[in-house]
Amino acid sequence: MKKSSILGIVAIAVLIAIIISIYGDSSTYASFTEAQTTDSELHVVGQLNKEKELVYNPIENANYFSFFMLDEEGKECKVVFNGSKPQDFERSEQIVLTGRMVGEEFHASKILMKCPSKYNDQEIEITESVAAS
Amino acid sequence: MDINYQGESLLPGQLGQLFIVLTFGTALLSTISYYFATTAKDGSEISWKKLARLSFWINFFSVVGIGSCLYYIIYNHLFEYHYAWAHSSTTLPVHYIISSFWEGQEGSFWLWMFWQSVLGAVLVFRAKSWESPVMVTVMLCQAVLGSMLLGIEVFGERVGSTPFILLREALSLPVFARPDYLSMIVDGNGLNPLLQNYWMTIHPPTLFLGFASMIVPFAYAFAGLWQKRYNEWIKPAMPWSLFAVMTLGVGIIMGSFWAYEALNFGGFWAWDPVENASIIPWFTLIGAVHVLLAYKNSGHSYFTASFLAMISFVLVIYASFLTRSGILGETSVHSFTDLGMFWQLVLFNIIFFGLMIWVLVARWKELPITKKDEETYSREFWLFIGTLVLLVACIQIVASTSIPVFNAVFGTKVAPPADPIAHYNKWQVPFAIVIAILSAVAQFLKYKRTDVGRFYRSLISSLIVAVVLTAAAVYVTNVYSNFMYILLTFASIFSIVSNAKVLGDAFKGKWKLAGSAVAHIGFALLLIGALVAAATENVISKNSTGVIAVEGFDEVETPGDNLFMYMDEPIQMDDYTITYVGDSIDGVDVYYLVNYERKDADGNVTERFQLKPKAQQNPKMGLVGTPSTRHYLTRDIYTIVTAAPKIEALLNENEHEDHEGHSVYEDYEEPMTHEVTVGDTIRYRSGFVVVKKVNRSATIQNIPVADGDIAVALTLEVNSAKGKQYIAEPIYLIKGGMVYDFAKDVDEEGLKFRFTKINPASNSLEIMVYQKPPAEKKWIVMKAIEFPYINFFWAGTIIMTIGFILSIVRRHKEVKESPVRRKK
Repeated sequence: MKKSSILGIVAIAVLIAIIISIYGDSSTYASFTEAQTTDSELHVVGQLNKEKELVYNPIENANYFSFFMLDEEGKECKVVFNGSKPQDFERSEQIVLTGRMVGEEFHASKILMKCPSKYNDQEIEITESVAAS
Repeated sequence: MDINYQGESLLPGQLGQLFIVLTFGTALLSTISYYFATTAKDGSEISWKKLARLSFWINFFSVVGIGSCLYYIIYNHLFEYHYAWAHSSTTLPVHYIISSFWEGQEGSFWLWMFWQSVLGAVLVFRAKSWESPVMVTVMLCQAVLGSMLLGIEVFGERVGSTPFILLREALSLPVFARPDYLSMIVDGNGLNPLLQNYWMTIHPPTLFLGFASMIVPFAYAFAGLWQKRYNEWIKPAMPWSLFAVMTLGVGIIMGSFWAYEALNFGGFWAWDPVENASIIPWFTLIGAVHVLLAYKNSGHSYFTASFLAMISFVLVIYASFLTRSGILGETSVHSFTDLGMFWQLVLFNIIFFGLMIWVLVARWKELPITKKDEETYSREFWLFIGTLVLLVACIQIVASTSIPVFNAVFGTKVAPPADPIAHYNKWQVPFAIVIAILSAVAQFLKYKRTDVGRFYRSLISSLIVAVVLTAAAVYVTNVYSNFMYILLTFASIFSIVSNAKVLGDAFKGKWKLAGSAVAHIGFALLLIGALVAAATENVISKNSTGVIAVEGFDEVETPGDNLFMYMDEPIQMDDYTITYVGDSIDGVDVYYLVNYERKDADGNVTERFQLKPKAQQNPKMGLVGTPSTRHYLTRDIYTIVTAAPKIEALLNENEHEDHEGHSVYEDYEEPMTHEVTVGDTIRYRSGFVVVKKVNRSATIQNIPVADGDIAVALTLEVNSAKGKQYIAEPIYLIKGGMVYDFAKDVDEEGLKFRFTKINPASNSLEIMVYQKPPAEKKWIVMKAIEFPYINFFWAGTIIMTIGFILSIVRRHKEVKESPVRRKK
């Protein structure tokens, strides 16, 4: 066979292997209910429940941060993160967690936050200064 | 009803918008004119070229005009413009105005156009017979970019986003009903504190110059195929391609350096989608450079070379699409949000991808593709293999990064890998091994045919040296746990040794070889640095303090990476004893001073230094930390503050003035009553008090002491644990038969003393001692990471860049020496 044909076949074989590996490594977006059923790490998208308390007390434990999140189905779950509170967390519009369910809590290894975009930010700081009369 | 707004300066915006329209129009005109200058055969091509050049120069000056207007608006804090309001503020230092210029998408599109104009100018002056066909493509791109800034409505759809949009046009708020709204807007949103950094002034321009310059190889390849000048475009395209990969490479590494030094990612490469997007065109263009060489010297790989030269620019546009369209929203830390230009970006991709496909298909039969196979022992064969590996590596990155695109197109909901670093490294490390080995071996191969015996003889000495050095390196750097890493170390060392040999030949007079040798050595060093630092980086602040073992909990709690420290309490971390000693405030930044001490076995201090990680307490973004790093030759200790008490607590409590409704004693704990005589000592929380003497004829301000009154003062000497002394003299007064006492405070120690009773019978005196509760101790939470041998990474980059420069000089000389072909 021509050398280039052999190369072509090898290249295609590698590419197929890559696609299989991507599929194998890929995670799923799931809800908290689905996360209960499996042990593997997955992603859960949701919103921070601002009504419930956020616990980050560095004096006690600098690596324990917990909060409550509502997933896309509306179910609420306590989330525990083994790290410090990400900056600006309370302002997040949407959160993507990577982690797994441990008992009744979701233990997140990674938190990704979506913060309000500048164009949607309908608030401007306005100060009224009264002119000296 | 039209509102007559007060105080707006509309002229800069209107002028800027005029320049934008002019830019778009002249780019279109120039494209069309250059097209006719290329294709016309009836003599009119000369006047077309004149028109094309004229519109090019008007375009150039319009682009500068846009920049000037925008700069004027930001510099003068004209917050009636949305861009100035959104990206800058009055407290922003002047040198960061440049940074706010390209914080927004409109600004970075402008930057791209600006560089493209500069490159266009160089082409107009230097491209000679290639000017017209090449500039068609360049000006087409300029027109498309111009359309991104238009901000006008066409058939109800908004085209582009202009940087000159007014705040009241961009946001609809009730305040804009007032004609004097401008006086109420006190300040802008400001620049994101993470971007207030000198890196933000140099990384985007370099990166965008790299992206912009990738159009030149595309344009040359396209022009060459289109005009059927199949062989001639390669020589002029070479130095341009080298310039593009060099600049883009430096730009990417700058981003990596920035992330490492100033951002809190805790590393230099995270396989984040935006990082990946910038590197994919680099892979393909590096491949293109190597097969262009192969074709030049052997006639093989023409199709691969042309294809890769063109697909690189298409990938630049695809990368823009990924980062700017918002499609990566849920997967990347730093992608932009959708500005409404989604379909324009898709169209941008389609136009250039379409042009590439068209020219390859239309000229397919005439492409100088050889029928013969390459010899196995030939340089061009292995250059081709290497390029193929680069292409496959690039496809792997594209595929994984584009998962959100697949989701959007096919409606699936696949999530990206939960551990991206492991996923990408799994593939890229073997690819890197192959590339590094090839960059060593191919240097010993000749084009077309190599003497097999001679090849192996020259190879074997380098091979043996490499194996020995690898064994030593692996032992020293501790990477022997992972076979893949050992293999990569070997491949890199092998490349360094072989290329060092070539460099040796260069010093003996064959200067032409220097460029590739130096660049390969730089690249191999970079691989080693990245590998070792990434493989052996360890969080040295790992600790389990604060974790309470729960009964029945079998799982071992993972110790956290963040370390909690009270001020002035030393903690042992790795080899170091660290103490948080204080903080200093400079403007909006708080520097946390952390002392590091290294002691040897006997307790003698062998090393002492202080790191000052800083944090900005931004009212909008919370605590934004910037790391501080201690650089050694063989490793870095990197420290960052992840949490700290709010700044109001640091800038201590203003003295609370007593007023109605407040008890003077409310700040103090419950008092302690003591019966004392002169000479007694009383302890308090942080020191002791000595009762010194009694003053029987004390005087009190404003209160005359009449006969029959008694005023007695008690002198108390306060000795604090820190060694300071204070005197307090509380007074006991009997006036008109009533008892009063006047308390005296020692604020520095938070003490208040009252002299409340004299007991003549036992000759004792009663005092009441009030103490303020201990001030909340200051604390920080920090993370410290050690990066071994990371200097290889930076040194490798610098050396690789030097190699590129040498190659550009060589290839540029070749262009000047070749005979100039006049177009008929």
